[in-house]
Amino acid sequence: MSMTRAELQDAAHKAFDPADLVPDAAKSWGLIAEMGWLMMAVPEELGGLGLGVEAAGVTHMALGRALVPGPAIAQMLVITALTAADGLPERDDLLTQAMGGAVMTASLAGYSVAGGLTCVPDADRASHVLVIEDRRIALMPVDAQTLTARATWDKTRRLFDIAIDASATGFTLAEGDAATALAERLQAQRLFALSGDSLGGADAILRLTIEYLETRRQFDRPLAMFQALKHRVADMKTWLAAAEALFWARGNDPAVTLAEMGALKAHTTTVYRTIAEEAVQLHGGIGLTMEHHCHLFLKRALLNCALGGDADQWEEMAGRQALAQATA
Amino acid sequence: MTDALETLRQDVRRWLAAHAPQGWREYCTSNEAFLDLQRRWFATLAGGGYAVPHWPAEWPGGGRSLAEQKVIYEEFARADTPRLLLSFMSTYHAASTLFEWGSAAQQQRYIPRILEGEIWCQGFSEPNAGSDLASLKTRAERQGDVYIVNGQKLWSTMGQFADKCLLLVRTSNEGAKQAGLTYLLLDLKARGVTARPIHQIHGDEEFAELFLDNVEIPVEDRLGAEGQGWAVAQSTLSSERGLTLLELSARMRGALWRIADLIRAGGRENDPGILRDFGRLATKIDATCAIADQFLANRIAGEERVGDASIVKLSYSRTLREFTLLGLRLGGMDAQYHEPITFGGGMETGNWMADFMNSYAWTIAGGSDEVQRNIIAERLLNMPREPKSWTLAGDAA
Ligand SMILES: Cc1cc2nc3c(=O)[nH]c(=O)nc-3n(C[C@H](O)[C@H](O)[C@H](O)COP(=O)(O)OP(=O)(O)OC[C@H]3O[C@@H](n4cnc5c(N)ncnc54)[C@H](O)[C@@H]3O)c2cc1C
Repeated sequence: MSMTRAELQDAAHKAFDPADLVPDAAKSWGLIAEMGWLMMAVPEELGGLGLGVEAAGVTHMALGRALVPGPAIAQMLVITALTAADGLPERDDLLTQAMGGAVMTASLAGYSVAGGLTCVPDADRASHVLVIEDRRIALMPVDAQTLTARATWDKTRRLFDIAIDASATGFTLAEGDAATALAERLQAQRLFALSGDSLGGADAILRLTIEYLETRRQFDRPLAMFQALKHRVADMKTWLAAAEALFWARGNDPAVTLAEMGALKAHTTTVYRTIAEEAVQLHGGIGLTMEHHCHLFLKRALLNCALGGDADQWEEMAGRQALAQATA
Repeated sequence: MTDALETLRQDVRRWLAAHAPQGWREYCTSNEAFLDLQRRWFATLAGGGYAVPHWPAEWPGGGRSLAEQKVIYEEFARADTPRLLLSFMSTYHAASTLFEWGSAAQQQRYIPRILEGEIWCQGFSEPNAGSDLASLKTRAERQGDVYIVNGQKLWSTMGQFADKCLLLVRTSNEGAKQAGLTYLLLDLKARGVTARPIHQIHGDEEFAELFLDNVEIPVEDRLGAEGQGWAVAQSTLSSERGLTLLELSARMRGALWRIADLIRAGGRENDPGILRDFGRLATKIDATCAIADQFLANRIAGEERVGDASIVKLSYSRTLREFTLLGLRLGGMDAQYHEPITFGGGMETGNWMADFMNSYAWTIAGGSDEVQRNIIAERLLNMPREPKSWTLAGDAA
């Protein structure tokens, strides 16, 4: 199955209208499953749609644009891991459930903590959680006793800590070198997804800010007429357009490295944060309230900066790689 | 596809090993040496089929895909070949304007000569027409089948060395100021033309002032119709803002080793702060390359929007400034001691102070960053324009 980026975008916008911010969580999840987004990356012979990077990129951008709640990024990580678990007898069953929307989740943190998982979205609704260890990747049942809800400033996401019960049995999805390779793929996928979410959000809040500047009048003219503000908007548009171009270039580059994906995530989240930060400023007082939408974008942007490893970590790694490659 | 590109890369590399000029940075410390090297190198490139990979396929040396062009530019940067500064305006500005607006006869007449080394410059700006280009005053009066031109042009890159000039003139004062402009092809050898070189901030004589005193230009050397000059000029400017940046951003990518060498020379390979700055710069350069690629792909597909090229240019100019500033910072005191510049050395020569100063060429020329921001805000994003009428305190009386 193949669709162009524009067709995919069209479909995504029909599902999640960018004008309807933070849509209802349960309805959104149903819609995500119904649209087939959870089976998008799964090969056709396993019952999926066999769509590639373009579809994934467009989807995450659409979810970010409308600030859609729910564990889509985590669920897609589980689905990728299941897809790779060729040897597991229960694989097809689990995959069918996960593609249908039965919540299975994974950590979105950028680091691991001994004895448990952090930053796990919607764990209270999940039957299983993905556990990535040094040489083993497993799908473990979720026991409600082990959960701690961690309310974030960003109310569009619901994160949990999970204590791992070492005695529990789960499904082993990969071991040894295969696990190491899969862990790296999952990490790259998470970084790409967070980048897409960030670009979608940045695009939405930039548009909303421009609209606001065009409507709000002070000094007998729309604020949008002031060059000082126009130039800030033009800079934001420029950063965003270049970051988006990089997103597609790296997403479609078969030789892309983890450090480059990390640097992409560092860059796109920085762009998102900066645009959301500027949005509050350019809205004035109303931007600093809970009644207006600016804060939703700012908080999700800041959370995206922290999830999946921060900019310092990834930029340093990317710098090291670029340094090794840059010889006369 | 990737295999074919890899083959091309190896071909270019082999060709460069045999043909790339050596020691030119040391050699090019005078105008004479610069001109000599640029002419020879251009002729070598034209002979090897690498001078104009961005031209359409019907011209010799043209017809390379974007991916191929990128490979070629990357290899040129890697081999540290001189950038084609002298023929830059010829192969980009003049050629792309001629491809878009030239009649078959004009194309047949001028395009092959570019490959033979004819040098073009651009005469748009004037002392009182910079960012507000459409207010230009150089006057052309039609008399029979010639235009008689009088006026002054400023900042013409390579103007003192050029053979021909893309000239924007006023043929009418009626109506909107843009509507009175006409685009002419000026022979700089014509009677009444004087060029005076101007020293740039770092000492190079990169641009010139042109004085036009009753210069005759045949009507057949007009591009587009009389009064259509503004539209023709847009195609020249858009080539500068978008097309050349594919090459220049690939060159910036290829020149990252200069900063890497500084990091290594300073023993700072494990300094996290420096690594982050370097990683961030590499990412921004890649983003600039990506937006330049996307721009060209859209342009070829006929989907270019007004303002797209401005995004590419602003992205490039800001990233180049950061590149040169990081070099300057890592260069420490060494970068503060005066080093003779290499004429036509490109944007990243490793003479960090000169490179830093030279980076203003991209934030000012071809429409300054501020002008690009106006275009992005008002034309691409449709934000309202400035009110037209104004008075200064004191003007009222
Ligand atoms: C290296 C170099 C090479 C050049 N080569 C050529 C060439 O080959 N041919 C040619 O014709 N010209 C050339 N130029 C000229 C160039 O196009 C002009 O310098 C440029 O358009 C700016 O005009 P100006 O210098 O008159 O500055 P001004 O227009 O006077 O601008 C001064 C400052 O005001 C800002 N400004 C102006 N208008 C606005 C506005 N509306 N809103 C906000 N800020 C504004 C500018 O951004 C700038 O910071 C070259 C310039 C340089 C530096």
